[in-house]
Amino acid sequence: MGEVIVITSGKGGVGKTTTTANVGTGLAKLERKVVLIDTDIGLRNLDVVMGLENRIVYNLVDVIEGNCRIKQALIKDKRYPNLYLLPSAQTRDKTAVSPEQMKKLCEDLRGEFDYILMDCPAGIEQGFQNAIAGADRALVVTTPEVSAVRDADRIIGLLEAQEMKQTHLIVNRLRTDMVKRGDMMSSDDVVEILAIELIGVVPDDENIVISTNQGEPLAGNDTMAGRAYMNICHRIIGEDVPYLDLNAKKGIFEKIFGKR
Amino acid sequence: MDNPVIIKGNNHGITVILDPAIEYAKLREYVADKFRDSSKFLGAAPVVLGFEGRALLPEQEKELLGIITESCELRIVCLVDNDAERRQQHERTLNEKLLDLSGASGTFYKGNLRSGQALTFETSVIILGDIHPGASVTSTGNIVVLGSLQGQAFAGAGGNEKAFVFAIDMAPVMIRIADYLARSADSGRPAENSRFFGKQEKEDPKKAEESRKMQIAFLEDGQICLEPLNKRVWNDIRL
Repeated sequence: MGEVIVITSGKGGVGKTTTTANVGTGLAKLERKVVLIDTDIGLRNLDVVMGLENRIVYNLVDVIEGNCRIKQALIKDKRYPNLYLLPSAQTRDKTAVSPEQMKKLCEDLRGEFDYILMDCPAGIEQGFQNAIAGADRALVVTTPEVSAVRDADRIIGLLEAQEMKQTHLIVNRLRTDMVKRGDMMSSDDVVEILAIELIGVVPDDENIVISTNQGEPLAGNDTMAGRAYMNICHRIIGEDVPYLDLNAKKGIFEKIFGKR
Repeated sequence: MDNPVIIKGNNHGITVILDPAIEYAKLREYVADKFRDSSKFLGAAPVVLGFEGRALLPEQEKELLGIITESCELRIVCLVDNDAERRQQHERTLNEKLLDLSGASGTFYKGNLRSGQALTFETSVIILGDIHPGASVTSTGNIVVLGSLQGQAFAGAGGNEKAFVFAIDMAPVMIRIADYLARSADSGRPAENSRFFGKQEKEDPKKAEESRKMQIAFLEDGQICLEPLNKRVWNDIRL
C-alpha cells in the first residue's frame, strides 16, 4: 500500500512546489513508483517545474468529475520510468474539489504507487483542506524567517487538529554564512520554535533557480541542494542518513585562496 | 431614540436599554429582531441580563425574557433589576461564586498551543507545554505555564483581580488580568530576537538558559507587574 504525503507550508513562496518536484524525482531515482499531484487548482505550476507542461491533456478536476479515467490524466515523466504527474486544472478554482473526493482519489492511487505526493497550495482555506484530506504524513516546508515560521506553526497546529499521523519539517533556503553572522535563524532554532521532528535542511542554492527554469529537478545531482533533497528522500523511505555539512560548500582550493 | 433597543455589555452580562416612548407591542418585535440579528455575535454564554430605560410590568419582563431566549442562544442565568444597590449585591454574589470556582479548582492541559489556537477555561489552568506566538489562553482563574509563554494570556477573565499568570519562560506578546492589559515592549520580539539572533547567547548555552525568565505576572495598584519568583511575591499572592 502506498503512502500519501502532503507537502505544505502556510506561507507562499517558501518552496513547496520545488520540494515536491525534487522529493518526487529523488524517490523515483530510488526506484519507488511515485505520483505527484498538484492540488493548487487555478494556479498550477508543478507541471512547469517538472518540465511537463506541454503534455497536459486531462487534469485533476477532470478525474474528479469523471471526464476521464485516472490513467488518462497521469503524465509519465520520460526521464524516470516510475514517475508520474497528475496536473491541476488552470481554469477552475479550489471549490471544484471537495476533501472527500480527494480522499477517494488517494485511496484509488494507493494500490498503484509507493508514494503519492500532494503539492499543497499556500493558505489554510479549502485548497489546504483538500490537500491534507487523504494524507498519512505531512512535510512542512519553511524558510528561516519569522513570517514563514509563524505560518508553519499555524499549519502544524491545524495538522495536529486533523490528527495527521506524522509531521516532519524541512528547513529550506538556509544560508550558512548568514547563520554564522547571527543574522539568520539556524535550523536548530527553527526546530526549537516549531517543536517537530526535522527531516531535512536545504541550503539556499542558485542551482535551484536554474533547475526550475529548465524544468528539470536537481534531486540526486552533485549540487548542495540536490544532495540535500536526496537525503530527504532517503529519510522518507526510512534510511538513517547523516545531515550534510552545509559549510563544506567550497573546495579546498577555494578555501585557501578564495576568500582572503 | 434612533434605536429602540440597545444591547450593552458589562462585566457579567448584558444590559438591554429600551425606548420608553414606543408602544410595548412594537417594542416586543424590536427586541426579537435585535437579538436574532446579534445571536451569532452574542454566542451561547451564560449571562446576567438587565433591562434599563423603561419601566416594565412583571409580566412584560417575563415575556421579553422569553422572546430573548427564543431569539438567540444566550443562557440567561439571572435577571438584574434597575435598582443599583440590589444590582451591586447581585454582582458581588456572582463574582464571589466565580472566584470560588476559578480559584479553587484547576485543569491540566498537556500540549503546545500553536499560532491560531485559543483555549478558554472556566477554572485555573496549568499548561504542560509552550504557548507559541499567535496563540492565546483565557481563564477565569490563574494561568500557570510550565513551558514558555510567547502568545497571549488572559487570567481572571471574569474580573478576578487576584488572578496571576506564571510561566517558566515568560516572553508574552500580551497579558491581561481582569480589566487590565499589558503588552510587550515595541522594540523587537524578545522571544525571537534576543534568543535566536543573539550570537553570544548561542555560544554559551548556560547564558541562553539564564535568559529564560521564570516570572509571575499579577495586578498591583491597577498595573500588571512582572516579577521573578521570590518570597515576597509568594506572600502577596492570594488564591
